Amino acid sequence: MPEHDPEQELGPKFASAFQDRSATSELRGAGLAAVARKRVRRRRRALNGVAASVLVVVAVGGAWSVLGSGGTPTNSAGSAEVPTAAKDNRTQGIAPSYEADTACPTDHPIKGVEEAGAVPAGLDVSTPVTGLQACRYQVPGGEVLGHERFDAKVAQQVVDAIKVLPERNPALPVFKCAPEAARPTEAIALRFSTAAGIREIWVEYTGCTTPGFFTGSRTYGLFAAPLKLFMTGSVRPSGSTYLNALTGW
Amino acid sequence: MEAALAAAEARSDAIEFEQWVGQKGDALLRFAYVLTGDKSLAEDAVQDALTTACARWARVSRADDPEAYVKRMVVNAHISWWRRFRRREAPVEDPVRTASAAPDGAVDRAESEAVWALCATLPDKQRAAVVLRFYEELSYAEIGVLLHCAEATARSHVHRALAALKTTLSKEGAEDA
Repeated sequence: MPEHDPEQELGPKFASAFQDRSATSELRGAGLAAVARKRVRRRRRALNGVAASVLVVVAVGGAWSVLGSGGTPTNSAGSAEVPTAAKDNRTQGIAPSYEADTACPTDHPIKGVEEAGAVPAGLDVSTPVTGLQACRYQVPGGEVLGHERFDAKVAQQVVDAIKVLPERNPALPVFKCAPEAARPTEAIALRFSTAAGIREIWVEYTGCTTPGFFTGSRTYGLFAAPLKLFMTGSVRPSGSTYLNALTGW
Repeated sequence: MEAALAAAEARSDAIEFEQWVGQKGDALLRFAYVLTGDKSLAEDAVQDALTTACARWARVSRADDPEAYVKRMVVNAHISWWRRFRRREAPVEDPVRTASAAPDGAVDRAESEAVWALCATLPDKQRAAVVLRFYEELSYAEIGVLLHCAEATARSHVHRALAALKTTLSKEGAEDA
């Protein structure tokens, strides 16, 4: 060791100065743990919020990709065209899957859509229809709650009853509710057979926003006249905020 | 059942964390104060470190020396401040003397003040190395790990600080003479 090792010589001066200062700092640790826990909770809440936002963005992005794809069936007529259109759409992985002629699509875009305005393959109400399949879905989730099939006569009656309706039913109450309560809990996809393939009108009657019939290009108010034509059997809901305000459905 | 067990474990961790901070909080603050030279910065550094420790207390509490673990977090928090905000004080050529030399019986006190004043002028990493060496009594290898530098660099930090102190004390001695 050198005779005058600076560390040996001056190190104790640092140590002494630090000890003096720390002893007289009068810093107290009271409340540190509580503040730490509070911050951790806040961070976790923030993280959960971010995660939820990401999920919402992903869900909305997915819904948009489904809606944006359109999935408009082209050519051919008759029963063969529906599976063809569905097959084309399945290859893109975004459209309803038609497992059988009589079954409702198990992966229908209506399940993830809170705003029913954008129907991917909406019906032009001036188009003649040759049949109707009504599919009642849980929203979100997409579980098929019920389905019924109707012949050409009833199908056309439904379209005729819808196309004369105004944009909204002024007799229905206007609700102000929290976002959670505003979301629909179920909806019905009216799947009409047309010369161009399956075309749809979505019916929204739960939640507390935008009830009515949606074709993708037009909105019609929720009235009892069309509802009573197809809300039968397993497609008939027990009630909802708006249905409870309607009579005669 | 699993959820209930997890909740009970979380409660137990919270109690343990509270007790540990109750025992070690003051010491952590003192260490941070010596490290940063500022009470507010010390409180911030400790609070940040404890927040991180709280979030992963199960792991921290299983460490061989939880106090050393948290002190390392304090040092890291301090270093990260350097990186994020470049908030270090600009070193000056000559330390400002904050206490006049006491002629009788208070030489040690005056020296202590001079050392503290000198530390305020040191670059942050140099100061951290000095604190870790003489307050925490760590080896140069340990200091190097904490400061993310080589052992030789840690040694160099400390020896530069010692040289500065020697110069300061020599000047003061000459002035007092």
